[in-house]
Amino acid sequence: MERMEMKGFLERVVVIKRLWLAMAVAFFVVLPFLIGKGWLSLVNEMLIMALAASGLNLMLGYTGMVSFGPAGLYAVGAYTTALFLTKTGIPFVIAIVAGPIVAGAVGAIVGWFCVRRTHVYFALLTLAFAQIIWTIIFEWYGFTGGDNGIVGMPVPDLLMSISHYYYFSLVVVVICLILLWMIGNSPFGKILQAIRENPGRTEFIGINVKRYQLIAFVLSSAFLGAAGSLFCGFSDSVFPDYAHWAKSTDMIVICLLGGMYNFAGPIIGSIVYILLSKLISSYTMYWMLFLGIIVVLLVLFMRGGIMGFISEKLSSKIQEIRLRGQYDTGS
Amino acid sequence: MRIEVIAAQALSGLSVGMVLFLIAAGLSIIFGTLKVLNLAHGSIYMVGAFICYTFTSTFAHVIGVFWWTLILAPIATALVGGLIEIFLLRRIYAEEMLYQYILTFGLILVLGEMCKLIWGVGYHTVSVPWPVNGSVPILGISFPVYNLFLIGCGIAVFVGLLFFMHYTGLGSTIRAVTYNREMANALGINVPMVYTGVFMLGCWLAGLAGTLMPPMSVVALGADMEVIIGCFIIVVIGGLGSLPGAFIGAIILGLLTSFGIFIVPRLAVAFGFILMIIILVIRPWGLMGKPE
Amino acid sequence: MKKMGILVSMLLVMCMVAWGIGFVPEAAAAKKKPILIGHVHAMSGAMSMYGISCATGGEIAIAEINAAGGVLGRPLKQISRDSKLSPETGLRESKDLFLNKRVDFLTGTISSAVGQAISAYAKRAKKIFIINISQSSRTTEELGHRYLFRIDTNAVPYFGYGPALALAQKWADKKIISLGFDYEMGHNGLRVFKEKYLQLVPDAKIIDELWPPLGTTDFTPYISKIANSGADAFFLSCVYGGGELAFTKQAWAFGLYDKMHAVQPCAGDVETWGKVKKGEPYPKGALATCRYPFWSIEDPKSKAFVEEHYNRVGFLPSYGAMNQYFIIYALKEAIEKVGAVDTEKIVDTLETMVLDTFVGKVPIRTCDHQAIMPTWFGIMKFTPDLPFPHITEVEVLRGESPYHSCEQIRKLRKK
Repeated sequence: MERMEMKGFLERVVVIKRLWLAMAVAFFVVLPFLIGKGWLSLVNEMLIMALAASGLNLMLGYTGMVSFGPAGLYAVGAYTTALFLTKTGIPFVIAIVAGPIVAGAVGAIVGWFCVRRTHVYFALLTLAFAQIIWTIIFEWYGFTGGDNGIVGMPVPDLLMSISHYYYFSLVVVVICLILLWMIGNSPFGKILQAIRENPGRTEFIGINVKRYQLIAFVLSSAFLGAAGSLFCGFSDSVFPDYAHWAKSTDMIVICLLGGMYNFAGPIIGSIVYILLSKLISSYTMYWMLFLGIIVVLLVLFMRGGIMGFISEKLSSKIQEIRLRGQYDTGS
Repeated sequence: MRIEVIAAQALSGLSVGMVLFLIAAGLSIIFGTLKVLNLAHGSIYMVGAFICYTFTSTFAHVIGVFWWTLILAPIATALVGGLIEIFLLRRIYAEEMLYQYILTFGLILVLGEMCKLIWGVGYHTVSVPWPVNGSVPILGISFPVYNLFLIGCGIAVFVGLLFFMHYTGLGSTIRAVTYNREMANALGINVPMVYTGVFMLGCWLAGLAGTLMPPMSVVALGADMEVIIGCFIIVVIGGLGSLPGAFIGAIILGLLTSFGIFIVPRLAVAFGFILMIIILVIRPWGLMGKPE
Repeated sequence: MKKMGILVSMLLVMCMVAWGIGFVPEAAAAKKKPILIGHVHAMSGAMSMYGISCATGGEIAIAEINAAGGVLGRPLKQISRDSKLSPETGLRESKDLFLNKRVDFLTGTISSAVGQAISAYAKRAKKIFIINISQSSRTTEELGHRYLFRIDTNAVPYFGYGPALALAQKWADKKIISLGFDYEMGHNGLRVFKEKYLQLVPDAKIIDELWPPLGTTDFTPYISKIANSGADAFFLSCVYGGGELAFTKQAWAFGLYDKMHAVQPCAGDVETWGKVKKGEPYPKGALATCRYPFWSIEDPKSKAFVEEHYNRVGFLPSYGAMNQYFIIYALKEAIEKVGAVDTEKIVDTLETMVLDTFVGKVPIRTCDHQAIMPTWFGIMKFTPDLPFPHITEVEVLRGESPYHSCEQIRKLRKK
């Protein structure tokens, strides 16, 4: 009797997402007391990257818009914060908030041009714009510091220590993720997914597809900009390479690795990717080779990413549990 | 500006453009028939360049070694391409563009690192071969013969490809598959083999460019990134899938860069992107492509 | 109750796993605990020869010092990391070295952007960072701070004042056309050259400035412009490595080196020209500055250093190897003078130290923590002594005159 109850309970635990969520949040909160500063710094990076990838996934996974240039908007956010902090006396938190706002605005302009086209032309347009953003940052030496970037932000003393900035990032990222979750699960989010599945039919039922795509683009840009701003405060510096398409590809690979069709996908992807890159590059100088092989294997064999793989394996298990539960309540 | 200066700048721009044309032509043909944008095309070009270096340095004592390399290295590159197509690309033709993009991006990394593994991190040089070394006076200015040779090669390849596509049986087969894959399949054409063949042709072109470039520059890692953006710009301007488009696009980009450095040196690099955006917004199928 | 218990234990298990991963085991024997020197450089990619060479120079010094008993009885150890020429990666590696590996000092880099990023972090973390190759004068001038040192030349003598002094002395050309990569170092190089040269030869003019994008390897349109410009000489600003090789090849094809004088500072670099053989294109007759022309340095310690370097890695040393060698010895001297690994006291000692090296006495200047390293220059030629082209008629610039003065630096810092 007891054993059956226990087994049933454990199975139910696996199913109840809220429990996992609470545990995860608790885990992150107590983390600074468990691990050293170096590792905490790495986790901080993972959180910021998770936010960037989740922002990108609003366009990529939900709406099916393949952008080659998310790093451009990320860099806009980072540079906005950097420029506000170094050139004006605005308080830190306002400079951070300005990042996503400006990134969203730039996203509106860039997006307006890009959504006029689809598929490979859309992707090439996003690439061209990202490269233009990179060129502007690189060439406008007087304003943006050019290839030297901007180094040394006036970060408030309260946030100077690694664990304090970690908590700050955690709060911002969790708030943004909650917002993204709400957007994704709202009627708006459902329409985006409909557009991904079949833009033609969605147009037929009266939805202005281009307008929804543009809104998705702008929202995505804003969250990317938020991640950029956070990273600016974290690393105390910004460089033109933040807009480079190599960084864009990092973000896309993270979404793919974690699973594009799952909310937790980009988050898991970010953790795994950064851990892997750190582990592998400490052993070999050919880390890019392993990354390339991983990417190729992912595309060929595991297109749903990690979360896709887990959901597949779990969904059959969960079905089983649900069915059994229906029968067991009697005993 | 004096006429000699204009001529020199134009010829310089054209010689640069012709090398890019060869790579872009491959990219365009592959997209036109296979409907895949091969991001790794620049990497294949780089592999071709390294193969060229290996041939010329290993057989340096052979007379006319460069000319032998010019025949063999592109074929070797095409074979590498064939392997890639058969084992990797074939599996994703039916998939969304995103996966094709990610796969070819993964290839960039793998090919780049393999080059690093095999050939190391330094740069290598190949000397300009006889008889196209030296320079000739053009309107009083001394201009390298090799650059003129490059222009000649580009034109010859362009004409040869056009002839191949439009006046040979094989070319018709390829055009048939490009136009309507299902129909060609129904007519008994072995479509997968045509796909492999076209991909190998594209890689042959990239390998040819990779063989022609080293005598006037250096062979080093990073060559893939340098050319791929230029190639995107060319195929967008000319039209994805159009061979004459790639030729015209290459000429435009070459001249734009060459004369751009006179007018607005610092922003010359952005001209290409701005032109690309304009074309994509107004006329995405480029100057000579077909609207879908 | 039971359910809560299970939940809590699952949470505890996750915490323990995290703690286990993050747990840094205390060093077993505190007695012979080595003094750790971090080194962040380009260890892969096109510039890796510089990085590997620097690391080797450091290892040679460390092997010598450890064989003689170490520093204060403790051995030295160098940990090298790859910056991949990216400031982001370089910063991440530096943080890892300081926080996880607990290095006592940091050295590096080749890229000035990486150097400036690490310098800002070192300032915040109050740790010593010594530059061994990166040349941007801005790092130690406008952005200099207490914990930053440079034992190395910098862009001012190497790209600017040095060539200016040399050109004024040799040919004093009046019409000059310049070409440089379009980034801060390129622009800075030309600016510093003009600063000094127009002072020495007042009626000289830079008739045109060409700025190809960073990383260009096809200079044909630029070279034809130079060839038709009517200038007496062309000046290359911060064009080195593979790009310089390509430029020279293309310029050679245009017969540029016979047409006009060439002022090509980086032509003196063995790292770039060491593999070029007679008959291949090279900067013939060019005026070049050089940072370690070991073929013209007589001190037997230098010759031994060159040989040891070659035995270890199979190629001749970059000047960065020499710098790193001096850096290790400088740290040794400072630690021994202070008697402990105390950052603040070591800074005070270093900033007035005079290094006794195999290129002579090199003082470290207090106002910007820059070591006043000598700069050599000469004309590029092939000679029977060496298989690769190198500077001949070698002359040396010593002292502070090829550098910005402390007064100039104070003005720059005020801005």
